[in-house]
Amino acid sequence: MSAPLASPAHRRATAESPIARIVLITVALAFLGVFLLLPLIAVFAEALQAGVQPFLDAVVEPDAIAAITLTLTVAAISVPLNIVFGIAAAWAITKFDFRGKGFLITLIDLPFSVSPVVAGLIYILLFGANGWFGGWLAAHDLQIVFAVPGIVIATIFVTFPFVARELIPLMQEQGRDDEEAALSLGASGWQTFWHVTLPNIRWGLLYGVLLCNARAMGEFGAVSVVSGHIRGETNTMPLHVEILYNEYNFVAAFAVASLLAGLALVTLVLKSVLEWRFDYHRGGAGH
Amino acid sequence: MGITVSGISKRFGGFTALGDIDLEAKPGEFLALLGPSGSGKTTLLRIIAGLEFPDAGTVAFDGVDVTNQPITDRGVGFVFQQYALFRHMTVADNVAFGLTVRKKRDRPAKAEIARRVEELLDLVHLKGLGRRYPAQLSGGQRQRVALARALAVEPRILLLDEPFGALDAKVRKDLRRWLRELHDRMGLTSIFVTHDQEEALELADRVVVMDHGKIEQIATPETIYNDPASAFVFDFVGESNRLPISVRGGTAHFGQHPLDLPPHEAADGEATLFFRPHDVEIVDDGAPALPAVVTLARPRGGATRIEASITGREAPLELDYKGDAPPRPGDRIGVRPLRARLFGVQ
Repeated sequence: MSAPLASPAHRRATAESPIARIVLITVALAFLGVFLLLPLIAVFAEALQAGVQPFLDAVVEPDAIAAITLTLTVAAISVPLNIVFGIAAAWAITKFDFRGKGFLITLIDLPFSVSPVVAGLIYILLFGANGWFGGWLAAHDLQIVFAVPGIVIATIFVTFPFVARELIPLMQEQGRDDEEAALSLGASGWQTFWHVTLPNIRWGLLYGVLLCNARAMGEFGAVSVVSGHIRGETNTMPLHVEILYNEYNFVAAFAVASLLAGLALVTLVLKSVLEWRFDYHRGGAGH
Repeated sequence: MGITVSGISKRFGGFTALGDIDLEAKPGEFLALLGPSGSGKTTLLRIIAGLEFPDAGTVAFDGVDVTNQPITDRGVGFVFQQYALFRHMTVADNVAFGLTVRKKRDRPAKAEIARRVEELLDLVHLKGLGRRYPAQLSGGQRQRVALARALAVEPRILLLDEPFGALDAKVRKDLRRWLRELHDRMGLTSIFVTHDQEEALELADRVVVMDHGKIEQIATPETIYNDPASAFVFDFVGESNRLPISVRGGTAHFGQHPLDLPPHEAADGEATLFFRPHDVEIVDDGAPALPAVVTLARPRGGATRIEASITGREAPLELDYKGDAPPRPGDRIGVRPLRARLFGVQ
């Protein structure tokens, strides 16, 4: 029902008076404008403050290229791993009954509730030179912290919940009927997953992957602790931005930051598209 | 293919879903598992299918123990209440699924699969709809696709979990008749779960009435209706009136009124009297019968449905009157059960 609200007779019981609506909308828009839109514009304005050439110079400079490459590499490793972990966790939680299910769900949420800095410190404690496994790692000439593996591990930790949290409610809602039907028709577990489960969750999965990717590329805290800030080696884009900023190199800092902001905008657009498809599929394929 | 279930028990946490169930389906038989929700009927069906495993007891198909076999290997067709069609596949792909997932050496050629699918769609009266998606079909059509899909792997046992539960009354009736035909034609052994007694009585060769994880009665529809084995079955199947009575010296009394009942073997003590609305004689007030006051009278089928209240009982009695001069609201009548059953108080 999208009846016009013009005539008072058609006003729904939950509709506020026109004044209340105007006030609410104004407050919401003003808040969004000041706290979200304005900073976003500021990033791009600062980046292009000195013109296009300094912007481009800052982006193609070797350290920046290294940071961008590292960020893409980390995302390329951690996102697929979290897809696998996320599906496995969601599958276990929604398709099987076992003891400790509630605990597992809580555990999945841990990265959301713990400060990223703490997450980073955990890995220093485990794999650092004076950490639990530090001696063994040094003896075998393996470096985890202050190197790419540490950054990947920290990123996986921080981004773990995105895929799982997206899939659990979806798979719960879909139940086990489809899988049971496939099994009754003689399909193996793998065939059931590949031909039935995965197609059923694909839009939700894509949505989770998108959010996971955005966070993987933008993560600062945990990565900052384990990275060691070695220029051209262990600097991701967010860390690179921070270093440039601390060196008062504002144009370069904002130029790289604008790339991250651009990534966020692309993510938002894709997210909207996915939400639209997702709802369509959920609504259209009901009973 | 015969199905033998012996001594099946199943608990979910502290809840006993099934307690020591024995059941046999002869080859070619059509059984209904009938009971209220929570009676264990769906659990029993799922155990027979291999979707659930019992804590104790065995399931055998044609004498071969399949208790520990998963559903994948049992070769049964299973139909779900909500159809469980694969929504991203066309109708034809859904039906073909059981064939396409076979190992290469058992898998028919593509053309052969396509031919089988056409045949099955024809069988379920869905010819020409193979390229549609499930979302584009009506509920009845979807359930028929689900059936075609289950039959594609040529099961000899067909298990159906509330197959008509999500359909409206008219579609349900047509589909019911059609399913029975299909069962007979294909020589299947079928078991279906329902909470709809009319469905069970109309469709099945034998009805298994269940309550609280126990089987109350296994019998033909006629016997279930005419000769219920327990108070529960009498109450659950068909319309009935129940009356608390006491038996003294071989005669049943409702309060102080002695009842002129057909011969029975009830021992003295408290009991419950059950009788169907059409198994009564309505006599003038004063005769040795239950005195009642008519509160409602309206035509129903070939009879008049009468509701009459009696003192000492809150719910009115439901009675059928078949004569030409039905009593009117306010009339005092005597109700004499012609056929009734007494069950001791549980």
